[in-house]
Amino acid sequence: MTAEEWEDFRKGHPKAASLKTVPLPFPELCATLFDGNAATGNPSQCLKLQHSAVIRIQTSRTLEEPKEDNMAKFSIATVFIASISLLLTLTHSFSLENPTDRRILVLVDDLALKSSHSIFFSSLQARGFELDFKLSDDPKIALQRYGQHLYDGLILFSPSTERFGGSLDVAAILDFVDSGKDLIVAADANASDLIRNIAAECGIDFDEDPSAVVIDHGSYAVSETEGDHTLIAADDFIQSDVLLGSTKIEAPVLFKGIGHSLNPANSLVLKVLSGSPSAYSANPKSKLSSPPSLSGSSISLVSVVQARNNARIVFSGSLDLFSNKFFKSTVQKAGSSHKFAKSGNQQFATEISKWVFHERGHLKAVNVRHHRVGETDEPAIYRINDDLEYLVEIYEWSGSNWEPYVANDVQVQFYMMSPYVLKTMSNNKKGLYLASFKVPDVYGVFQFKVEYQRLGYTSLSLAKQIPVRPFRHNEYERFIPTAFPYYGASFSTMAGFLIFSFVYLYSK
Amino acid sequence: MVGKVDAAKGGAKSLQSPASNQATSKPDLSSMSTAFSFKNLKLKTKQQELLIRVSILGLVYILAFITRLFSVLRYESMIHEFDPYFNYRTTLYLTEKGFYEFWNWFDSESWYPLGRIIGGTLYPGLMVTAAIIYWTLKFLRFAVHIREVCVLTAPFFASNTTIVAYFFGKELWDSGAGLVAAALIAICPGYISRSVAGSYDNEGVAIFALLLTFYLFVKAVNTGSLAWSLASAFGYFYMVSAWGGYVFIINLIPLYVLVLLITGRYSMRLYVAYNCMYIVGMLLAMQIRFVGFQHVQSGEHMAAMGVFFLIQVFYFLVYVKHMLNDKKLFQALLRIGVTSAVGVAAIALGVGTASGYISPWTGRFYSLLDPTYAKDHIPIIASVSEHQPTAWSSFMFDFHILLFLFPAGLYFCFKRLSDATIFIVMYGLTSMYFAGVMVRLILVATPAVCLISAIAVSATIKNLTQAIRGKNTQTMSSKGTNSSKGLSKQQASLDQTIPYLKNGATALLLGAFYLLSRYAIHCTWVTSEAYSSPSIVLAARGAHGQRIIFDDYREAYFWLRQNTPSDAKIMSWWDYGYQITAMGNRTVIVDNNTWNNTHIATVGRAMSSYEDEAYEIMRSLDVDYVLVVFGGVTGYSSDDINKFLWMVRIGGGVFPVIKEPDYLVNGEYRVDKGAAPKMLNCLMYKLCYYRFGELTTEYGKPPGYDRARGVEIGNKDVKLEYLEEAFTTSNWIVRIYKVKPPSNRW
Amino acid sequence: MGRSPTTKDDAQALFQSLRSAYAATPTNLKIIDLYVVFAVSTAVIQVVYMAIVGSFPFNSFLSGVLSCVGTAVLAVCLRIQVNKENKEFKDLPPERAFADFVLCNLVLHLVIMNFLG
Repeated sequence: MTAEEWEDFRKGHPKAASLKTVPLPFPELCATLFDGNAATGNPSQCLKLQHSAVIRIQTSRTLEEPKEDNMAKFSIATVFIASISLLLTLTHSFSLENPTDRRILVLVDDLALKSSHSIFFSSLQARGFELDFKLSDDPKIALQRYGQHLYDGLILFSPSTERFGGSLDVAAILDFVDSGKDLIVAADANASDLIRNIAAECGIDFDEDPSAVVIDHGSYAVSETEGDHTLIAADDFIQSDVLLGSTKIEAPVLFKGIGHSLNPANSLVLKVLSGSPSAYSANPKSKLSSPPSLSGSSISLVSVVQARNNARIVFSGSLDLFSNKFFKSTVQKAGSSHKFAKSGNQQFATEISKWVFHERGHLKAVNVRHHRVGETDEPAIYRINDDLEYLVEIYEWSGSNWEPYVANDVQVQFYMMSPYVLKTMSNNKKGLYLASFKVPDVYGVFQFKVEYQRLGYTSLSLAKQIPVRPFRHNEYERFIPTAFPYYGASFSTMAGFLIFSFVYLYSK
Repeated sequence: MVGKVDAAKGGAKSLQSPASNQATSKPDLSSMSTAFSFKNLKLKTKQQELLIRVSILGLVYILAFITRLFSVLRYESMIHEFDPYFNYRTTLYLTEKGFYEFWNWFDSESWYPLGRIIGGTLYPGLMVTAAIIYWTLKFLRFAVHIREVCVLTAPFFASNTTIVAYFFGKELWDSGAGLVAAALIAICPGYISRSVAGSYDNEGVAIFALLLTFYLFVKAVNTGSLAWSLASAFGYFYMVSAWGGYVFIINLIPLYVLVLLITGRYSMRLYVAYNCMYIVGMLLAMQIRFVGFQHVQSGEHMAAMGVFFLIQVFYFLVYVKHMLNDKKLFQALLRIGVTSAVGVAAIALGVGTASGYISPWTGRFYSLLDPTYAKDHIPIIASVSEHQPTAWSSFMFDFHILLFLFPAGLYFCFKRLSDATIFIVMYGLTSMYFAGVMVRLILVATPAVCLISAIAVSATIKNLTQAIRGKNTQTMSSKGTNSSKGLSKQQASLDQTIPYLKNGATALLLGAFYLLSRYAIHCTWVTSEAYSSPSIVLAARGAHGQRIIFDDYREAYFWLRQNTPSDAKIMSWWDYGYQITAMGNRTVIVDNNTWNNTHIATVGRAMSSYEDEAYEIMRSLDVDYVLVVFGGVTGYSSDDINKFLWMVRIGGGVFPVIKEPDYLVNGEYRVDKGAAPKMLNCLMYKLCYYRFGELTTEYGKPPGYDRARGVEIGNKDVKLEYLEEAFTTSNWIVRIYKVKPPSNRW
Repeated sequence: MGRSPTTKDDAQALFQSLRSAYAATPTNLKIIDLYVVFAVSTAVIQVVYMAIVGSFPFNSFLSGVLSCVGTAVLAVCLRIQVNKENKEFKDLPPERAFADFVLCNLVLHLVIMNFLG
């Protein structure tokens, strides 16, 4: 294993670095494991071997469980499994803890795109992504093998492909998204039905006219030739630091391509870059015979979707937006005298890709717990009017590590058909959120609900069921002052009974 | 009359000839034929009689138990129907966690998300009884499962009821009537229907408690003893703890007292019996959490309280009258007293009702007084088949000859009027009325009918046998001669010199035994054929006469138990709620304890809405699975499609968006092509008939032929958008659907 | 109509004759009567008290009042049974009657204790 290879591997797997320094816990086992591979020293092979080890572990586990009595036989295997799983936690744990994607499949119509969009791709690679370029009709394309996804993200830079190679189709891509993976789709004028179908499934409707492109006579990019105003200088960004980074994008973004509208029934899709009020979508070659179906700021140029499982999708109506040519070109918006030396495209594309591949805006909630005030154990059931505390820790992924997320708008609900308690949680600036409240005077099966949905952030949706019971028979107030006369009366009749019995018996 | 018991027994076993029955019918009088085995022992007649009585009672006791074991024989030792599953579940909890945990049990698995306070909303008598039996057996080192105890609780108490019936009959008439009553009630179908092995329901214990209370009360009235009255209060307490039907007692006894007052049969004994029973009984009943303060607050119990005050006033007046010995003064007192008493009572009642302190009568109570009330106002009561008015055929089915013996018995009772017979007459008449209003209440009427019929049978046979032997004695008791039903006319015209008296009496006697043996045959047949079905396992006859068992319910519930997450919420119509929680161990939205009409209506609304609307409702209730019962493949008719109109009605009662006419075509309920469009697309229809259109159920019929309704369904191409089929049992009786999570990208 | 004066007269005459008749009552019955009066008056006091402070600990109120009413009623029952003038209870020895009475009272007060809190 050469130093460079190791370095490469380490880039992809930050925690693997520790492998080199930490002594292996089971040297002899690992020696046998890596025997034969050590000579070639190829890390990818080494990984493969580990993968096969995973499979072996799984099979041996399934064998082991029903045969508990054969433990002795398996004891060696168990030690083996333990060591392997330890090894796996060392090498693979980041994939659980680290939400950022690593392996990305890029599908292109033409491999020339690899060089024409190289700035975008190399910026991704520089940030540690492994890009796997394939022609979109490559018959060997597969997103998953043996039920395991091979990639964390997919970039579809193949607007004109009518059919993917291999087993890939619309359903496979949607399934990929539905299993939490991310997607960038760039369309273009003459986008294929395939791309349109994928978009439509995500609530994005590209202009149905295949020859239509976005035209803007108001805010086009000024160029030497007059042109047909299809090269647009768009600067109508969504106001979100999470989506587009904290540095403001000064220069307009050059856009040349097809517009789309958002399906109003879909509440998850957002316009990131929208057209100016003077934009419309039509065929620039022909005269307008009827009013364009899409016009004004309802045209979206770039949109994002964050699915309920926090898979993120970017749709761009323009593939050129990501191209080196647009990245480097100067831009001057029509009507504006200021000429930017460099368009906003690079910044825009980089920032949006950071978002879509979960380098930013990813929250996690851990250590959700609740208990009565003054106690630490979590009860299985609360009583009405108990005072309780609900705690949750929320962290944000900064791209390299988890940092406390600080916000003052996280709310917890104590919910049964409707929220009985709705309380903003206080935080200690270290990610720990706390709310303490009194259980309402209603019994039933409640839920602690935290529904935290902020623009750009992954949505946190925590629900924890907890029953609330009424008082037990011995938990009511026992001696009530107002009832003392009744107690007195009862006891006096009892005493009266005794006296009466004596008097009656001895009166004769 | 002892021979009658044997007749019943013989019928149940192998039917001996009536002649041999007759042979054994004499011993209590002549001691001839029974003495064969005791010849050498030389027992005195009295002792012999006692021995025979005890042995007959013992046989009846055993008979009552074993005739209820048909269900175990035919199926297996299992809990039946719907409510018993809840009782079984709570009993299990009681034996596992102890009494205090049970008493305070808050069940979060039913009525999601409201939950149910089990301890405060049930009658714990049955569970505590079973648990005590279980603990006793365990203490005696009998290792039995609690389920076996639960299965056999009802037969055991039915046996005990026969003993009580004997003593009651003895108290009412004589020991002969008591024995006949014990034998009649042991095999009466009206009672067996609720007390077969496995029918682990409140009624099984409650009838015992009911009869015991009445017996002890009558005993208290007869003796005027505080101790009997106290015992009757305890009987009442047990009844209150066991069944909501205790309201019948607390209304019947005051009514009886009132009747006695009006008819001038007031006595000090009555005063002692009623007051002690009412005060102590009421206090004891208040210890049951579910009943609580109802005795002083609800309208149903006000009659008892009113009579209590009335009898105080009455006693006071009698006392003063006794002291005064002056007519005129007493008249004056009466005037003052009655005016003020009536005024105070009226004011108290008015204020109480107006301030809402005394709750008005509940719907179930109204529906008893006015049979049409429930149908118009409370669909949830009317939807239960047990709450329907009774048909004549079911009277015949449940009572058989008792139905004819009942008026005869009434005649005998009026002939020999006493406090006790007045009581049984009132009990019989009121309970017969209620039995006519609600099928379920046949059960309450059964003991009264059995007792009164027993009086008829006993008196008739006694007279007949005396007539046969009358030639020798000639000194018939006057009572015996003129109260014989069959002979009264003959005897009125002729004296003991009737030529055919003896022959006629013999013929009538034979006739009576024939009738009674028919009764025994009928009872055995009904028990084995109709009342032993657990209704959770269905049986049918195949084409070649063989038995086919449909065990789909349990298949489905075990599927739920094994294949769904432990906190999954299941939505189904409320009938199946108890079974799902007990057997599937999963949370349900509604169950058979219909305490929250709105919640049930919400489920009804979901079932009768279009799929997308239903999806919203199901999401709001966190429903994970939907369970429907469908009989279209097997021809099982009490499925959800047939219950569907009730869902619409109950749903529409709370949510007016659901309108019954939308589901009907010209007032007709149909599922075929001519059905209403809303019907064809509502959730229930879709869930029942999903993929049914592809299935050929019967040879020679088109696919999608619904065997339960005998039509080809109207919507064969059912597509589900928000739900997916999760499980369908082998005979399609239970179908379970999973509610899909919301779309990921929308 | 002149009805009220007659009523008044009647009432007066009534009380006088009642008092004279009552004087003839045996002592043991008088003891019982005193006991009954005590119980009833306690009950009345409690009802008045409840009317003033409201019915909040309703179970306590009920147990208080019912213990008094129960005691009174049981005492009246005893009175009936031991009264020699009552022909109906000739068979019943007064000892047995008193034993029954004690038993009922024990049950009553045990239940009251349970219900009070």
